[in-house]
Amino acid sequence: MKLLRRGLLVLCATTMLRGADAFFDRLEQALTFSAVDTQVRARLSGTLELEGYDFQRPPPGVIDAPGRRLFNPRLSVFVDAQFGPTLYGFAQVRADRGFDPRAAPGELRLDEYALRFTPWRRGVLNVQLGRFATVVGNWTNRHGGWVNPFVTAPLPYEHLTGIWDTEAVRSPGVLFQWARVQPGQPAEVTAIEKTLRVPIVWGPAYVPGVAVSGDIGRFRYAFEAKLGSLSSRPEAWGHAREQRHHPSWGARLGYRPSPTWDIGFSASTGSYLREFADPELMPGFGRGDYRQTVLAHDLAFAWRHWQLWAEVYAARFEIPGVGDADTGAYYLEAKYKFTPQFFGALRWNRQVFGRINDRRGQPVRWGHDVWRIDLAPGYRFTPHTQLKFQYSLQRGDSDGREHTRLLAVQFTQRF
Amino acid sequence: MNSHLFVWLARRRRSLVAALLLALAPGAPAATVEGRVTLPKTRTAPVVNQRYEIVAKAGVLSTNPPVAVVYLEGGFPRPATPPAAEIRQKDLTFIPSLLPVQAGTRVEFPNLDDTYHNIFSFSPPKRFDLGRYRADERPVPAVLFDQPGLVTLRCDIHEHMRALVLVLATPHFVVTDATGAFRLTGLPEGRHVLKAWIDSRTTREHVVELRGGEVQRVDFP
Repeated sequence: MKLLRRGLLVLCATTMLRGADAFFDRLEQALTFSAVDTQVRARLSGTLELEGYDFQRPPPGVIDAPGRRLFNPRLSVFVDAQFGPTLYGFAQVRADRGFDPRAAPGELRLDEYALRFTPWRRGVLNVQLGRFATVVGNWTNRHGGWVNPFVTAPLPYEHLTGIWDTEAVRSPGVLFQWARVQPGQPAEVTAIEKTLRVPIVWGPAYVPGVAVSGDIGRFRYAFEAKLGSLSSRPEAWGHAREQRHHPSWGARLGYRPSPTWDIGFSASTGSYLREFADPELMPGFGRGDYRQTVLAHDLAFAWRHWQLWAEVYAARFEIPGVGDADTGAYYLEAKYKFTPQFFGALRWNRQVFGRINDRRGQPVRWGHDVWRIDLAPGYRFTPHTQLKFQYSLQRGDSDGREHTRLLAVQFTQRF
Repeated sequence: MNSHLFVWLARRRRSLVAALLLALAPGAPAATVEGRVTLPKTRTAPVVNQRYEIVAKAGVLSTNPPVAVVYLEGGFPRPATPPAAEIRQKDLTFIPSLLPVQAGTRVEFPNLDDTYHNIFSFSPPKRFDLGRYRADERPVPAVLFDQPGLVTLRCDIHEHMRALVLVLATPHFVVTDATGAFRLTGLPEGRHVLKAWIDSRTTREHVVELRGGEVQRVDFP
């Protein structure tokens, strides 16, 4: 009887979703506008994401919550507009509890906006101005909830290091404390410090700036000048003026021998400190001397029902008077479609930390090496509706000894 | 002869007899219907999402104007060998964007772009996902459409790409031109229902009495 009830429930839900799918198809048509003989066209689209997290204290990655569970709804609305063959613009508005999952009141933000000028149809040159995702690496192309097979980002995009962006490190001991290399910090202190620390790349890094890009044969190039480093936090992205004297520079050179393979090399450099850090800088140094320099290599493979991605990051945070804090991270990610609707993904992440001399001149690792494995099955009920689960097991992070786990679920309705 | 085949033959006895008579009488004159279907207004051109594919090639696409499919309803026998049809992927569009086929048709999906596509369908008459394949891969991926119904094709990579495969139980169908005009030839004599499929929600019908050698005019307002 119970089985029958569940079966009926699934049947009703599926029927409703199919009905809703026809509605979303019509909605999509209704949200497309055109004028001037279709030379000007615009489209509204979006996603509604309902996320749930279950984790151990302290919360992993960029999740910020006082308890062990978090519900995080998010509505993202996109505007794509084409003005003739040469001008394209887009914007993204989000209503959620913060850019990253957190226990906070709801807010409405304009996360992305940009205008792109493409003078020639062949696409050898594009100039883009606005606030948009970084050109570095290959994860930003698939960071949206609908296309990302996981709920969370890869380790280099969310694992918080011991570097703060609001205060400059004045001695190795301070860095070791911030990175919790010195034992004895309770988990709750770690949780509070989460609001101060930064990763190698903060998510898609929607930082204001300008980008120049293009396709030349099988090569693809992109350069960007941004008002914030890759590690800058979402709160800083909307305050570009504070970084106007310290722009960050980034580039990616890609090679696509065939649609199956995409290989890229990226680099970025820029100041990782915000203006709050000015009073604490080492005498004789400016904010521009506290640089984050990143080198990255990315690889993507796709064929039939397989998709594989990999990225390797090498990052250096220069700390005048203390030394260079080096860290490296990589991940390998695979996705496979078992049926037209059921898919699964597996990701192996690793981040390691270099050494800095302590007061006695002894080299000490400035962070705990971390590994994490993510497993994510997902199902698309309709072309507009998707459900994903994620289980993550991590070693390292808070105190370098215990394994921590994360369970996440994400329901996505796109329109 | 297995029992399934026997049941199938019994159910389609009338159609089979009609088809057999038609086949045995090659000189029998066939009927023709011509006319015009009033089509809806031209749809707006799609907008391509190029947010994270920062290198774009203008994003201007051509779209087919609205067309209709006119077909003679009936349970006609399937051909002995599966007919073949083709939907190409060119300039980030499906060509044609509407393909009527008889049930049992094998449709190939050649990719003529220098980028990947990933065609899939969640439509109940045919669920499939061809995955990602290059233009030079052989054999060209194909799908056998064996159940009548409407199948919506999409691309998992380019969300604006759409095409429809209208799987019919009849071999007698034709696609109108952009003005709605059609001419359907080689039709069997007798009383039939002529239908005009305009979109997934609109199908108009008209009863026709066909006589060999005659040309009838039918308009669908």
